[in-house]
Parts: sequence; structure tokens; C-alpha cells
Amino acid sequence: MHSAYGDIILTLYQPSTLPHLGFAVSLLLALAEQEKAKQIKLAALKCLQVLILQCDCQEHHRLLDTVETRQCGNLFASFLPGISTALSRVITGDIKQGHMVTVSAIRLFYHTVSLVMADEQLATITKDEEKPSVEQSRLSELVVHRGPDWVKSTADKLSLLIHKIVEFASLHPHWKVRMELVELVHHLMLKCSQSLVESVGHLLKALVGLVNDESNEVQSKCHEILRSIAELRTVAENRALADVLSENLHSLATALPRLMNSQDDQGKFSTLNLLLGSLKLLGPEVNIVLNSAAHLQRLSKALMQVLELDVSDVKIIEERRWGPAGSLGEPSGSLQHGLRESKCQKKYFRFFIDERIFSLIQQICRVLGYYGNLYLLVDHFMGLYSESVVYRKQAAMVLNELITGAAGLGVDVLQERETAVSTEDLKGTITSILEEYIDQANWSLTTSIDTEGTSDELTVKHSRARAIPGGAHSSSLISSFSPSSDPSPTIRSMNSNIWQICIQLEGVGCFAYVLGKEFRLLLASVLYPVLEKAGDSTLLISQTAIGTMVDVCHACGYDSVQNLINANSDYLVNGISLNLRRVAHQPHASRVLEAMLRHSDASLLPLVEDVIRDVLSALDQFYDDRASSFLGVLSTLVAALVQWFVVVKGKEHPQEQNLEQQSSTSSQKQGKGSVITPMGQEVEQFLLDYIKQKQIAEGNLPAMEEQEEEVQAPHPEPEMNDTGAEGETPLPAHAQIAKDVMERCIHLLSDKSLRVRLKVLDVLEFCVTVLHLHENQLLPMAHRAWPALVTRLINDDPLAVLRAFKVLCTLAETCGDFLRRRFSRDVLPKLAGSLVTQAPVSARAGPVYSHTLAFKLQLAVLQGLGSLCEKLDLGESDLNKVADACLIYLSAKQPVKLQEAARSVFLHLMCVDPDATWLFLNEICCPLPYEPPHPSLHAVKLGGMGRQRTEFTDNVLGLLGELQRRETAAFHARPQEAPEPHPPSLPEALG
Amino acid sequence: MALPPPDPQFVLRGTGAEVQTLHFYCGGQEPDYPILLSGSSNGLIHVWNLKTRRVDTILDGHGGKSVYWVEAIYGRDRLLSQGRNQKICLWDLAEGRNTVTDSVFTENVGFCKCSLLKVAQGHWLMAMPGKDLDEVQVLELPSKTSVCTLKPEADAKPGMPMCLKLWQPDFGSCPFLLAGYEDGSVILWNLSGGKILSRLACHQEPVMSLDFDSEKTKGVSGSSEEVLTVWSLDEQQNLKVQKTQKLVNAGIADVAIRQDKKILATAGWDHRIRIFGWKKLKPLAILDYHTATVHCCSFNYRT
Repeated sequence: MHSAYGDIILTLYQPSTLPHLGFAVSLLLALAEQEKAKQIKLAALKCLQVLILQCDCQEHHRLLDTVETRQCGNLFASFLPGISTALSRVITGDIKQGHMVTVSAIRLFYHTVSLVMADEQLATITKDEEKPSVEQSRLSELVVHRGPDWVKSTADKLSLLIHKIVEFASLHPHWKVRMELVELVHHLMLKCSQSLVESVGHLLKALVGLVNDESNEVQSKCHEILRSIAELRTVAENRALADVLSENLHSLATALPRLMNSQDDQGKFSTLNLLLGSLKLLGPEVNIVLNSAAHLQRLSKALMQVLELDVSDVKIIEERRWGPAGSLGEPSGSLQHGLRESKCQKKYFRFFIDERIFSLIQQICRVLGYYGNLYLLVDHFMGLYSESVVYRKQAAMVLNELITGAAGLGVDVLQERETAVSTEDLKGTITSILEEYIDQANWSLTTSIDTEGTSDELTVKHSRARAIPGGAHSSSLISSFSPSSDPSPTIRSMNSNIWQICIQLEGVGCFAYVLGKEFRLLLASVLYPVLEKAGDSTLLISQTAIGTMVDVCHACGYDSVQNLINANSDYLVNGISLNLRRVAHQPHASRVLEAMLRHSDASLLPLVEDVIRDVLSALDQFYDDRASSFLGVLSTLVAALVQWFVVVKGKEHPQEQNLEQQSSTSSQKQGKGSVITPMGQEVEQFLLDYIKQKQIAEGNLPAMEEQEEEVQAPHPEPEMNDTGAEGETPLPAHAQIAKDVMERCIHLLSDKSLRVRLKVLDVLEFCVTVLHLHENQLLPMAHRAWPALVTRLINDDPLAVLRAFKVLCTLAETCGDFLRRRFSRDVLPKLAGSLVTQAPVSARAGPVYSHTLAFKLQLAVLQGLGSLCEKLDLGESDLNKVADACLIYLSAKQPVKLQEAARSVFLHLMCVDPDATWLFLNEICCPLPYEPPHPSLHAVKLGGMGRQRTEFTDNVLGLLGELQRRETAAFHARPQEAPEPHPPSLPEALG
Repeated sequence: MALPPPDPQFVLRGTGAEVQTLHFYCGGQEPDYPILLSGSSNGLIHVWNLKTRRVDTILDGHGGKSVYWVEAIYGRDRLLSQGRNQKICLWDLAEGRNTVTDSVFTENVGFCKCSLLKVAQGHWLMAMPGKDLDEVQVLELPSKTSVCTLKPEADAKPGMPMCLKLWQPDFGSCPFLLAGYEDGSVILWNLSGGKILSRLACHQEPVMSLDFDSEKTKGVSGSSEEVLTVWSLDEQQNLKVQKTQKLVNAGIADVAIRQDKKILATAGWDHRIRIFGWKKLKPLAILDYHTATVHCCSFNYRT
């Protein structure tokens, strides 16, 4: 055959040779089918291919012109049935026959079919085509006339075969077979798309199904072919094909829910792929399908069912955002968010697990949005959204994707659409969707049982929902809303609510992404609800909301969430102040304020000032029932104030403070005259002081004045600078707020609920920290807070005592001597008493004791007491009291931690009054005998001398050693001084 | 149960002082966003963009003295403002400018707001308190020529004018001026003759504000007492009291009839805005949001 060229070869393909050819063909087919040897099979197929003039070998072939091709086509039409059935049998035969056979069989199949059924040829064939020469009438019976009827019937038969082949080959394990199948589809689609209209469905199915084949080559080939098909616009020009596709779509949509139920993930995947492929191929023509109500209905219902979420997971509700402590660290967390691209929360669907399936469905929706009529689609899905709770989540999901697709984002399409949706249209659509999303009935849903005041929230929501008159679907809203607001919401419904909120939040993120900077205008209405959800107690919601914030941030061109909040704080403040007016929404509003404070910085303060005032006045109105929810805000508020002002201040004026401290400490030290002054002078100074004190005691006034001047000289200056100036200028806003908050706290300190009391104590501590630079304000407040605080310290739950003690320490740090008398009068006896009574308990207790509250309380008191003594500059008798109480804890029988804490108390006492401490400790245990330096002095007798080793010995010796070390260190700092270290107890000996 | 009064749509923050006067400018031809002008007691005029709900421009031209009247003229790019520094300024806002192009010095130191009436394309009449205490001056704008000076006869002694309202029955006909005075009376002036047409003593206390519906020839006035008086003008150009509405708390700072003549709003010293039906003065709502005296109220109405 190869050697035959030119016209010669054509003579072979005359009708007259038909019988001979037929014999050859059937022989070859039989060989291919029945022969066992693979080689022979292949050779037979090859030969056949050559015979039909479709050889694909490298040698040069004479190209046939159209007339000749037609002739050949006519000729082979007779063999088509035989060849095709035989080949299909070969192809669908045993897999073991080897892929090569299958591949060449497929190749032969499509070559034959495309030769005979080529659209080009068929188009030229007319009905009255002359019959081949009359004299060969016997032969003419064999020749087939390819008229329309024939084409029709052949196509029907072929479609069956193609269906079989496609079914088989697309699941064939060898990739080359699948590749060849793709080729087949390509050829047939290209050449016979009109004649084989019926099979187009099968062909596309194969093609689309193979788009995501495991083999990359097959994949890319598929893509290429799909693209080329789409580019050819065969679909657009060919009504029949479009009809087939849309019919296909319809039947797919109808079958989808059933398939989703029955198939495994792989099957679902290919089904959806098919759907996507047909949509893509339809391209802009998809509107024809969508305009038919039945089609749209089917399609949307199918999507609704497929996307049904699994809401039975209990964990969703259980996961809670943990306390404000964790969330204060959020700025860094949200930065991390900023790095990752908008990633949605993982959803759990009822009908599938595979993430790829979800992304396929996303793609489907996006393609719909890309090509489809946006208004029609959005309207339809909004209808579904408001139709029933069952569809709401899915519809929202679809809407989100539709919009994304409509904007042409994240969508992978085969052909460009003619007209893109204008930004104005998009904005309008998005605005209306958002309105629906953030409507109270769809936004504030019950997501947890233990929300305080859930019941009145619900009633208000109900009344609000009814209060919206007119709206087309207000009635359906209420009816669909009421099940979710059932007084005892089930886990399922709450889960569903949580998901709904999350999806809507994601939607907001999507829309922001779509609109970009244009979205800024919508922030006025959207930002508040999103931020409200960011403070939600359900982990999932708050995470999603934070993610949304980040998305919005990116979309609108803000560098950080903080910027976003700051730049739009006027919108937020508006929302907060309006919502504060509604009792039921107060918790939300306060939550938003909390989130706002947490994410923002000091520049926010002027804006929120009046809102804070609103919060306080709202708190005044509802002391009883809402205190705890407001306290959350207040604590965030003052914590933020501390962060913004106190820390910053500390950085700004470190020198000033240092100076102040130095001056104050130096004055203190001068006053005591024991540490700084060298030893020799020390004694002298002490004696002088002693004399002066004695004179004062005797009523020698002039000396006292001198003394006072001397001691207080360094003090007044800084104080004048500080407080004098501030007395005149109005209080800075943050201090004023802290003061107002503190005032409320005083009232709430004696609240019935322990939780509230604890929270108040926290807030109080922060307030004190904020106010510590404004002594004039702080002291009166401290005075007013004192009685309530004392009650907390003296008789309350141990937890509260613990917290109160912390507050006391902070207060002491800032107020100092202002509290001295009060402390020694009101608190110290009680504290010391409780320490003493608790000591035997802790001494006896086992290792478990360290986990009890009593232990923690003891520890805290002991740890705090030392610095407290120092800060308050307590008098001698009080110090003795402290020392007495703490002494028991120096016992080796006490838990180690308590011993340590007790030692720390003594270390602090040493700073305040080293001499007394020395004496006290020596009374317990005295390691060295003290020889008087001169016989004229009395011999020193100390209580601890010559005692047996006791339980206290170790700790006391340790402390004495430390004391000694400090003294020598002080001494070595001034080496020119007397060589012999005087024991500091000399005065006592004198006395 | 009656529905609770609606919440504010949005609260515009950031004037930094009490708002003394408001004026909506809705455009008309342009499909543009509406703007709101506000004048506050720190002497600043804020131009609010109601789409973004933020301040577009801040105008400072009254030397820190309270601004108590602003109105747009020539579209959105020009506006008139009257301040306590005894100046009425014409602002040019076109193309981002914010300069005072013209100003009129008023010799009056009272609180009386001006009134503006468009009489022809490019021509306005502006009534403003005059040099003498009880005198009202009417200027023609933009030429600033005095049209007439309305001074009550010596024995009338109505005191200072407190509020003014220029109106005309039909476009192009002779304009009238309604003025509320310190002694509680409302006087109807005919501008062409400079004569008092009618005088109605409808309040015991100074008339703080009035508005007039020229279609129904019916007006309303509020004073520092707790009554709202509705009066009508008959064919003989006589003012007659039609109805008085008792209020709970005393003091009406401002009254405004909506442009469609359906409802009436009053701004009260009791921190509340009250809405009435204009036809029968049926109380409709009490808007309760403010925490201090409401100085003014204004309707945004797109025709």
C-alpha cells in the first residue's frame, strides 16, 4: 500500500472493489479480535488503519482532496458498522490484552468514524446524488448512500458504541488509553459534532471527567482540547449542541442529589467535574438554561442539597474563646492572620468529606456567576435564602461564590464573557445581600445557651422582626426564624446558627475582596456587625470574624486591623452608641467596644470617650443584672488604658521617674541615716538623731522644725511639679475615665456575685495603675474604696481575698504612706492573725496542700507582705507584728515555698529596719557570741544565745548570713572606713 | 403596644461643640450624594458628606464665635453663614476652595436667624435683623442692596425680632415676611409697602422659632413656654390662632415643616425632638436620643 502512489491507489477504492476490500477488512477485524498474539493483533489493526488510508506513519502520503475523501468516505460507510462494532469489542475486551492494542483500536475507531461521519462530507452530500454506475447494480447494493436518514440511524448506533467505549476507557488503568480516549473525543468533537450530536454528551463526559486525571499529560491535553473546543464556539453556533448540553445539565442536576448520596467521593468528584465542564462549555449560553425556571430550580435545589452542612458536631459549641487574657495578645495573632491568604474555616458537609469536592462546587458557583445573569441568580438564591432555614446556609455559600465569580475572581474559564458585570451593579447587588445578611433576624442568632439574658434578647428580637413591616419576605423571615429562637435551642440548631454566621462572615470577606477599595463605603454598616462577632464567645465565629476583618483590611487597603478600626472608629462608635440604647443589645455593643479597644491604640480614646460615658451610665441603670457584662468592657478598657498610657509614660519619662525615685530614696535613707553614711558617722548620726527624737518627745519645738525642714527638703520640689501643675489643668481624659470607672467599682465591690467581685477587683487594680500619676485623684478614691476593700480582705471568699490582696499591693505601691495607718489598723492584725492560725495547718499538711486555695492565699500574703511593709514604711510595732507572724513560716516544717516567701518577708524587713531584724533573728538563734569591745559596757545578752538547734535555725542562719553579707557589701563600698565591722545592734546594747 | 420610637440612622460625631444650625442640601439635578451643613458654637461650619457620613470640609470664618445660620445658595458650591461675630459670610466651595468671597456686617447682636428667599433665577432676598433693636432689614442678593427696612411703629414695641420667615404666595408675586418678636407676637409684613399687615400676639414669651406653609397659608410657632401655636392667614391677610398644642416640657428651640407639608418637627430644650402630623397636629413620635438641649432640626427631603 505504501508503495502505491497517486491515482493507482484510488482505483482500489472504487465501488467495484468493494467485495475484495470487504473481505480484507473482515479478515483483519477477525484477526484483531480473535488472535491471541499481541503482535498480530497490533499488526492487524495497523494494517486496517492503512487500508482506510489513515496511516499515521512517518512516510509521505499523498493527501487526498475533498472529492476523493468523499469517495473514500462513501466506500467505507459500508464497512462502518462492522468495523465499529468489532473495534468496540476489542476496546472493551479483556484488560490483559495490553494497552497497546486498546490504544490502537481506539485510534482506528475514531479515524474510521471521523472519516465516514465527517460533518464536512455529510454537508456536501445531497439527496439526489447520482448512483454509481448502473451496470454494477449488484455492487451498488453494497454501497451505502449517506443521506440524512442513514446518518441518523448510524449516529444512534454509534452513540451506543461510543458510550460503551467511553465508559470503559475512561476508567482504564493505563494512562495512554485514557490519553487516546481524549484524542478520540477531540477528533470526533472536531469533525463530527453535528452528525454525532447524540454522543456529544458521552464524549464531553469523558473529556470533562478526565480534566482532573491523575496523569498530568492527560490533564493538560484535556485542558487544551476543552479550550480549543470552547474557542471554536461550536457550542455557541450549534444550537443542537447547546440543547444537548443543557439537557445534560438538567439531568445531571436532577440526578446530583441521588448520586451524592450513593456514590463514593471519587464518583462524586467526577460527577461534579462533569457538571462543571458542561457549564464551562456552555459559557455565555448558560443563560438560556438559567432563564428556564425549571432548570434553575433543579440546579439550585441540587446545589442546596449537596452543600448541606453537617451540624451535629458538638465541639463547635463547646469551643469557647478563652478569657480576655488570651485575647489581649491578639494583635500578634492577627498579624499572623494577615500573612496567610483568606482561608475559610473548614466545613463539614453531610454528603462528602473530600476538600476537592467543595472546591469543585465553589468553582461551579463561580462559573455560574461569571457567565450567568447576576441579577437573576442573586435574586433566585436570595429567595432560597429567605425561604427556609434549611437552605439558608447553602444559599449564602452559593451567593458568596456567585459574587466572587461574577467579579471574575478565582474563576477558571474557557472563554471570556462578552460583558463583565460593572462595579456599580456589583456594588448594588452586594449592598442588598449584605443588608439581608446583617439583618437582626439573620445575624444575631442564638449560639450558646449560657449567654446572660438570652431570654430577653430573644423577645426583643422577636418584636423587632415583627416591627419590620412591608418587606416582601418579612413573614417568612419570622416564621423561619422562630424555630431557631425556640426557648430551648437544640445543639443542632445552634450549630447551624453558628455556621450560618460564619458563612455570612466569610461572605463579607468575599464581598470586600470583590469590591476592593469600593468596599470602604459599606464599612459604615458592616464593620460593626463583624466586630461584634469578633468578640463572640464561640471560637469558630470569633476566628472567622477575625479572618474576615483581615480580608476586609486587605481589600480596603489598610495595613493592619488596627488601622482599619482606627480609620473607621466613627462608624463603630455610632453602632455602639445606638446599640447601647437597646437593653438587649447592650452585651453586643459592649463586646464590640471591647474588641475595638483590644485592637486599637491610644488615638482611639477621644472618639470613644462619649461612648464610654454611655456605657457607664448604662451600667448605672442596670447595676443588678448586667454588671458582669459591662465589667468585661471596663476591664478591657482600663487594661487598654494601662497599656496605652502607663507603659508609654513609663518609657517617655524614665529619667524623671528615676530622679524622683532617687531623690525619694535618698531622702528616706538620709532620714534613717543607716545605710549610706559610713559606719563611724553612722553611730554618731544615730546618737544625734536619738537625742533629737528625745527632744521632740519632750516637746522641743524648734528642733523639730529644723528636723522637718531637713528631712522634707528634697520632697516638695518634685511634688510641686507633679501635683501642683495637674491640680490646675483639667485631668487628662484617660485619668478621668479611670476615675469614673473606679467610682463604679467602689459600689460594685460588695456585689452579691463572687465573679463580679473578682472582676471588680481586677478592674480596680488597673484603675489604680492608671491613676498612680495623678495622686490628687487617686488618694480620695483610695480613701473611698478602702472600707469596701477591707471587707474583701477580711471576710470574703479566699479567692476574693487573694485578689484583694493583690489590689492592696498595687495600691500600696502607688499610695505608699497614705495607707500606712489604715493598713496597720484595719488589715494587719487580721492578716497576721490568719497567718498565725493557718501556720500549724500548713506545717502538718502533706504535698497535696500546695494545690489548695489556702496555701495559695498564704503564699500570696507572705510574698506580698514584705514589699508591702517596705512600701508603706510601717512603724516598729507593726513590723514586729509582721515578723512575729512570719517567723512561724521560717520553720523547716513548713512547705518549702512558704519558707522561701517568709524569708523574702524578712529580707524586705531588713531593708526597712536592719537593726531590729537583726535583733529579732538573733533572739531566735544566735550563732556567735558577742564580746563587748570594752569592759565598761554591758555584756550583750541575746535570746537566741546558746540555744539548741531548732526548726528555725537553718532559715534564720541563712537570713543572718544575708544580712551580714549586705552589711559587708555596704562596708566594702567604702573601704576607707573602720576595719572592724560593728554589729548593728550596738544601740540596743546601749539602750 | 405602640412601637418604640426609631433609633437614629447615624450619629455624626466630631463637631466638637454644640450644633446650632443645620441645613440639608439635596442637590436636585446631580445624581450626587446629599450634603448636610452644620454650624456649631465653636464657630466652625462642617460640610458633611452623607454618603460616607464623614466631614468633607470644615470652614472656619466666624472667629470662634457661634454660627447660628447656614444655607446653601447657587447649588452646593456656595453657602451663606451667619455668626455671632456679626457677620454674614458668603463662601465659595467650588473645586475644593473654601474661601469667604463676600460678607455683610450686621449691626444687630441678637440671636435672630436670617431668612432667604429665591425670587428669580440668580436673585435672592435675605431678611436679617437690622441696626435698631426692633428693625428687620431685607437685602437683595447678590447685589447686597437694601430693599426695605421694616420697623414697627414707635408705640408697637414688639421688642427684638427673634425669628424670620420670608415667603411668597406664588413664584414671582410680592413676597411677605413673617417675623416672631420678643414680646411673643408674630407680625406679617408686606415687603413692597414695608407695612404691617397683621399682628398676632400668640405667646407670652419670646417667639423662638416659626415656620410657615404657604400652600395652606398656615404657620406654626414655638416659644420658651410649653405650647406650640398654629395660626392661619385668611384672605384678608389677618393672622388668626387656629390651635395651641400643649407640651410636657417648656422651650421650643426650632420648628420645621417637612417640604411635603405632611409632618412637623420641633426641637426642644428638654433634649427631645417631637414629630407631629401637620394637618391636625397629632403627636406622632418623640425622638429621644440627645442628652442636652436640641438647638435645631431640619428635614432632608428629595422632591
